[in-house]
This record gives sequence, structure tokens and C-alpha cells, in this order.
Amino acid sequence: MNVIEIKNLTKTYGKARGISDVSFNVEQGEIFGFIGPNGAGKSTTIRTLLSLIYPTSGSATIFGKDCIQFAPEIKKEIGYLPSEIFYYDNMKVKDLLKYSASFYKKDCSKRMKELAKMMDLDLNKKIDDLSLGNKKKVGIVQGLLHEPKLIILDEPTSGLDPLMQQKFFELLEEENKKGATILFSSHILSEVQRLCNRVAIIKEGKIVTVEKISTLQENNYKKFKIETNSTLDKDYFQIDGVNKLDVHNNVTSFLFKGNINTVMKKIADIEIANLWIEEPDLEEIFIHYYEKEV
Amino acid sequence: MNIFMHELKVYRKSTIIWSLSLIAIMIIFMSMYSSFAEDAKGFMKIVENYPEAIRNAIGFNQENFFTILGFYSFPLSFITLCAAIQAMNLGTSIVNKEVREKTADFLLTKPVTRTKILTAKLLAALVSIVITNIFYFAAASFVALQVKTDDFSLKIFFLLSLTIFFIQLIFLSLGIIISVIVQKIKSVLTVSLATVFAFYFVGMFSDTTGDEVKRYFSPFKYFDTAYIIKHSSYETTFLIAGAVIIILAIAASYVVYSKKDIHAV
Repeated sequence: MNVIEIKNLTKTYGKARGISDVSFNVEQGEIFGFIGPNGAGKSTTIRTLLSLIYPTSGSATIFGKDCIQFAPEIKKEIGYLPSEIFYYDNMKVKDLLKYSASFYKKDCSKRMKELAKMMDLDLNKKIDDLSLGNKKKVGIVQGLLHEPKLIILDEPTSGLDPLMQQKFFELLEEENKKGATILFSSHILSEVQRLCNRVAIIKEGKIVTVEKISTLQENNYKKFKIETNSTLDKDYFQIDGVNKLDVHNNVTSFLFKGNINTVMKKIADIEIANLWIEEPDLEEIFIHYYEKEV
Repeated sequence: MNIFMHELKVYRKSTIIWSLSLIAIMIIFMSMYSSFAEDAKGFMKIVENYPEAIRNAIGFNQENFFTILGFYSFPLSFITLCAAIQAMNLGTSIVNKEVREKTADFLLTKPVTRTKILTAKLLAALVSIVITNIFYFAAASFVALQVKTDDFSLKIFFLLSLTIFFIQLIFLSLGIIISVIVQKIKSVLTVSLATVFAFYFVGMFSDTTGDEVKRYFSPFKYFDTAYIIKHSSYETTFLIAGAVIIILAIAASYVVYSKKDIHAV
């Protein structure tokens, strides 16, 4: 079952780029990554899902219901954490969280305390006096206290120290195990790699690809590095499926996609001193997707 | 309901401060009444020498200037001016505050419709204004009863004071429509001061020419104190004009607000 279905979603702001023809689905129970550089359209997509902005054309459904028409109903089960957090300054953390909880027709006080304890957040402080990281924690607790079925995170980790980030990820994984679906937008690939099952890559307002992280990493590309005893002909590995070929003295490196046997045969024909075959990390794949289009 | 209570709490301080300020202005002026009444004749002569345009502009009219009601009309125009600023501030900050403090994302991702949000905020602002008026009227009638030299109609006194409320409603709704249409207002006070003073001066200008039609351009001139004192009622056409402005502005605000894109900041 799909929790989120986005169909040909387009939003234009006059001349400025918004998003065009964005389509992808997020399945029940998965942690879905949404990556792209700043300004690619991640926030625009998310804000449309939350009906903060209205699409120019196309539509999206959440829990099978249109995200604009049934917005208030859908939002009962959504927890949202925006990238930048500013809350009513003159309030105590506790009061803000209570205010937030008052929108949901259930008792959230227990969960609120649990989360605050987990995130090491002082409930009696004024929001004014909090540091950026601590404000972020307020945002996290605020977004999760009603135990939503869908958690939408828009670049959530900025301002959190690595330790808190770790705790936050554990918290998300825990929520995910309990059945929550998570849409996680980020421009930091290692985060997405660590957490997500599938990922959509967005670039200049268009979805470049939607794939499993594992597929992206394993099946598609291998990173080869070959050290030879003598200098190799520059074009020796210039075959189909080879990318980013780089020959430097006795070291040749490239990315390869395709039938691995063809490369292995080529390698078998030459005298090698050393050989590394690695899974490229997401960063390299990501950059690859970007360069391809340029 | 929760939004309403939250907003009320936010307005609490400003409601108290505005109420006290309005009352203070009223007390300062009204405390001069008794000495004023004594020097009535001498004063009358001085003012009679002023050109008619100026006499009209400052709200002076000879017949009832020295009755307490006539005298009260004089500070009333200043008090209304201040009260209009309060109302305009409230109205302008209703939606704009969420944008400026970047809390719109918080509120609008909760399971409530935008209509409900606007209604709750509107009601909270209205309550703040009503409370201000109740405080003000209680204090004003108490002071008037203390300083009076002759008996006066408390009903007319009430009608005069109530004009503050009506004008506040008009400026509240103007404030809301501005805050909904303008994407981001840097300083609420600048906008509200500018708007209120603009209308105030338009009103003064229309006074000097004595043209009836021009009165429609400034809400400050919808309630002619001399007329109220004479007829102990309001002018119907201007009441209707006021109501039309309020209804149109608020209806338009609902439409614009529910269709508006809330951008990230």
C-alpha cells in the first residue's frame, strides 16, 4: 500500500523554478529518502504535500486521500519537522508542546515526556533561551508527540550535534519499527544512506530517479582501481559501461556499470600489481547522476 | 478553541497597555473640564476668532462645546485615533505575525482548516478590542460623573464612546486584509501608523471643506459627534458604509487566506 502517491505534481512561481511533473510513491512502512541539492524542489514538494502551498497542476494523495481536499483530516496522522524552526518566543517549551498536543484529540503527555527525556530536552526553559540545536529538539518532540503514522522531515539534522543526530536516527528507526512511514528529505547523502530503504533524487525541479538504495549501490556501479607494473595504454579500459576513466601513472580507476565479466577479462589480459573493487558510496553515484545531465 | 485561547494570552499584555493608555488620555483631558467650564466665556471669544476651517478641523462647535458631552467630543477624536492604531495593529499582526515569527509552518501543519485558524484569531482580536472598550467606558463614565457640572445624558455619552469600538472594527478589518494580501510586513507598527494617520488626515481635510461625500473616505468621519449629541443616534448611511467595509474586508481575507501559498522563509 502506498502512503504517499504523487502524480505529475507541478508548481511554478512565475518565472522562478518550482517543481515540474514530480511523481513518486512512498510505501507503507518504509523510510523514503528525498535527496537533491539546495533549491532543487525538495521543500516545494513537501510543502505541497502539507498543503502549505497549492500545486499548479497534478495531485498528491496521502493515505489514499487528496492532500489538499482532505488536508485537516490527513494532518491528524502526520508529524512534520521543518528545516528551520522558530516557535512563539514568549513560551516555555512545555507550553508550546502542550499547545501542539492540543490539536490532536488524544493524550500526548506521556509520549511528550518520553521524547523529551530521550532527546535530553529541558521542558521548563523558555524557547527564547534555547540554542539552535535545542530548538531543533523541540521541533522533533513536537513533530512526534502525537505518534503520527507518517513522519515528514525536511532537512532535519542541521544544528544537531553528532550524538543527538545518532539518537534522533535511532528514534526514527524505532518509530519506523512501530509502523510509521517516513519521508526524509536531505542534501546530506550519508544520512540518507544510513537510514533509507529507497530514495528519490530530484534535480532542478525534476525527479531524476527513484531507486532502492541497495540497487543504487550494488547493482549499478562498481568502483575499480587497478595498479599495474608498467604504464597502461590510456584507452585500454575505454569500453562500454566505463565512466570517469582516470589513468594516473600506473594507477587506473573508473566506475563500471554492466556485465562485470567483460572488465574481468580485460583485467586478466594484463599484468597487474594490485586491484580494488569497491561499492561506490552514494555521493559518487549522486554526483554521477548530476554530471550525466549537464 | 485552543488557538483562540493561545491568541488571547498573546494579546493580554497589549490589551492592558492599550486600555490604560486610552484611559490615561481620557483622564488628562477630562480633568481639565471643570476649569474649562469656568473660563467658558473667555475661551469662547478666543476660539471665535479662529477661521471656521480650523474650528471644524479640531472638532469645535460652539453650541455644545461647554457641555460635558461637547467637551468630551474633543479628546474623543484623539482617543479614537489611538484606538484605531491598536485595532490596526491587531488586525495586521493576525496573519503577519505567523509569517514574521515563522510559526506559520507550525500552525498550518496541524489538523485544522485555515478558515478555523482565521476565525479563532479574529475572535481573539475582537475580544481584545471589546475588553479594551469595556475598561475604557467604565473608566470614562466614572470620570465624567466626577467632573460634571450639569447633568448629562449617559446614553449619548455611551453612544459617543461606542464610536471608538466601531472605528476599531473598521481598522481591524482593514488590518487583516492588508496582512493577508501583503506577503511579508517588516514592521506592523509602521504600516498601521501610516494607514491610520493617512485616514485621519483625509478626515481632517474633509472637515475643512465641509463636503458630505468626502466624509466617506475617512472612517474617522463616519461618526459626527455634533450629530450624535443632537439626535442621540448615528447617521444610518455612515453606519452602513462602515458595515460594508468590515464585511467586504473580512470576507475577502477569508478567501485570500485559504487560497494563499505559505512560503518557506
